[in-house]
Amino acid sequence: MNQTTVRRLPIYIALILLALVSVVPFVWMLATSFKNGPDVYTQVPQLLPLDKKTGEWNPTLGNYEYVLSISGLGTAFWNSVWITCVLVPAKLLIDALAAYAFARIPFPGRDKIFVLMLAGMMVPTITLLVPRLHVTQLLGVYDSPWGIILPNVASVLDIFLMRQFFRTLPVELEEAARIDGAGRMQIFWRVILPLSKPVLAVVTITSFIFHWNDLVWPLIVLNDPQHYTLPLALQQLASTESGRAYYIMAGAALAVIPVMIVLLIFQRRIMQGIAFSGLKS
Amino acid sequence: MASPVVAQRPAETPARPGRRRRRPGIGGRDHLVGWLLIAPAMAYFIIFLLYPALAALYYSFTEWDLHSAPIWVGLQNYTDLFFDDVKYPHFWKSIQVTLQYTLVAVPLTLVTALAQALLINTIRRGSNLFRLLLFLPVVTAEAAVGAIWRWLYDPQYGLVNAVLGLVGIPRQNWLNTPELVIPALAFIAAWQCGISMIIYLAGLKSIPESIREAAVIDGAGPVQRFFKVTVPMLRPTTFYLVVTGIIAALQVFGLVYVIFSGGGNRSVTGGPEQSGLAYVLHIYLYAFRYNAMGAACAMSFVLLVFIMIITFVQFKFMKQEVS
Repeated sequence: MNQTTVRRLPIYIALILLALVSVVPFVWMLATSFKNGPDVYTQVPQLLPLDKKTGEWNPTLGNYEYVLSISGLGTAFWNSVWITCVLVPAKLLIDALAAYAFARIPFPGRDKIFVLMLAGMMVPTITLLVPRLHVTQLLGVYDSPWGIILPNVASVLDIFLMRQFFRTLPVELEEAARIDGAGRMQIFWRVILPLSKPVLAVVTITSFIFHWNDLVWPLIVLNDPQHYTLPLALQQLASTESGRAYYIMAGAALAVIPVMIVLLIFQRRIMQGIAFSGLKS
Repeated sequence: MASPVVAQRPAETPARPGRRRRRPGIGGRDHLVGWLLIAPAMAYFIIFLLYPALAALYYSFTEWDLHSAPIWVGLQNYTDLFFDDVKYPHFWKSIQVTLQYTLVAVPLTLVTALAQALLINTIRRGSNLFRLLLFLPVVTAEAAVGAIWRWLYDPQYGLVNAVLGLVGIPRQNWLNTPELVIPALAFIAAWQCGISMIIYLAGLKSIPESIREAAVIDGAGPVQRFFKVTVPMLRPTTFYLVVTGIIAALQVFGLVYVIFSGGGNRSVTGGPEQSGLAYVLHIYLYAFRYNAMGAACAMSFVLLVFIMIITFVQFKFMKQEVS
């Protein structure tokens, strides 16, 4: 071992301890989710799914089967999948179109409208919840997947981020395309969007994570358990089965794992995105 | 040097009107395209942001149950909130809880984030891996975070008590002891400090190497360098994180909702002796449990004004710092 390695050893030890604090709750979640009910409650914490009495290897998938079918997390999982798959692309399109207009098309009142939208971002979500609920009732989408999609189908923050990015693209490219006879929409599709992959990726990924995880709005707008999204179904599970940690941890794993996979694949882009925008929270 | 600039100008100036002349009427059509492109976002903004914000302000002066017509009561919701502790017995308690939570959670989160960022910034090998691992809690759904931590804090079988037992700290009933609720919640907040950590890392990377080297040459040790160079250079980052952290902490809701819901028929109350009754949870209960929409809107406007004052004061403060 050379000198720098020795000097850095305490730093690595500190980091490993911090990383353990960060990761162990998830490991514990997974460990609990594969245990049979009686094996969960041991005086000395047991990481592996061992039989409480005999100490033999005794894992189970039964908790997952139970929450997926009987607690309705299977339905909720697919509800979440299709809601996010409709919501995120629709939101991306609406935001990108507006961002392009705000960035590049001069029309009267543009900047005033943009500033008004930014000011709207300052209003806390809780203030908007009651009237938004009323609006969804008036629109006839209360207690339906559209009641989740419509009130989330655009984001001022995303419009702002994309506008900032579009403004950094060289105007000359657009002018060249115009001279070649391209209209605004062609420029948008053929020139702007292909050049904007970094910002589009960041906005797509953060939107996916945010809406996949969102609990508060579904809690307010959904009533029928058939329509529940995964976080809402998990919250209900944690509430009704509060004595059965093995079911709850299986449910939590179902909510956590898809997002972890997305994070693993796109970690570089997510980190870059946060460094200049902050995650929506 | 001067002549090319002069030569450029006449070449550029006629180019602009020339382009316009080639496309007569493009201005008008372009306006239309612009309006069409923002139309969907605009519709969303009006229906789901502007109207709700204004409607909430209006409802805050009414008594309303969401179903019948709102009844105008003027400022009564606001005065009752502050002065009628029979009607709103936990209003002040919820403010106290939220302020306490903010005062504990924000510093704890930022110190943890800074420590993590400093450590990661000193190493080369494995820095991406550690960054990823420390970031995992951030992307976790708050329903899952609440569920996981309820299990970790379990008084009898929880991992937290087991780990603390190793160093001789006796078992605690974390989420059922009023004095321990805020620390327990703040610890979860610090566990989820990944965003601040990433932003601090970006801040650390932006400190010029030359400044650090100059400090080394001047004979400053690592501790001195940290307090005399790193901390001052990170001040804008810290400021940003403090402002956004306070604003987020004042609105903490989903986590406390999940943590203190449960036990089957027991309804959400905000923990033992309301020790976890965050302000937004209090609003939620009045709006969606007691159907007191008007009062809930009034509470949410108190929060809005509070957040605006904090933002305003902090930006004044920052301007003073800069000048």
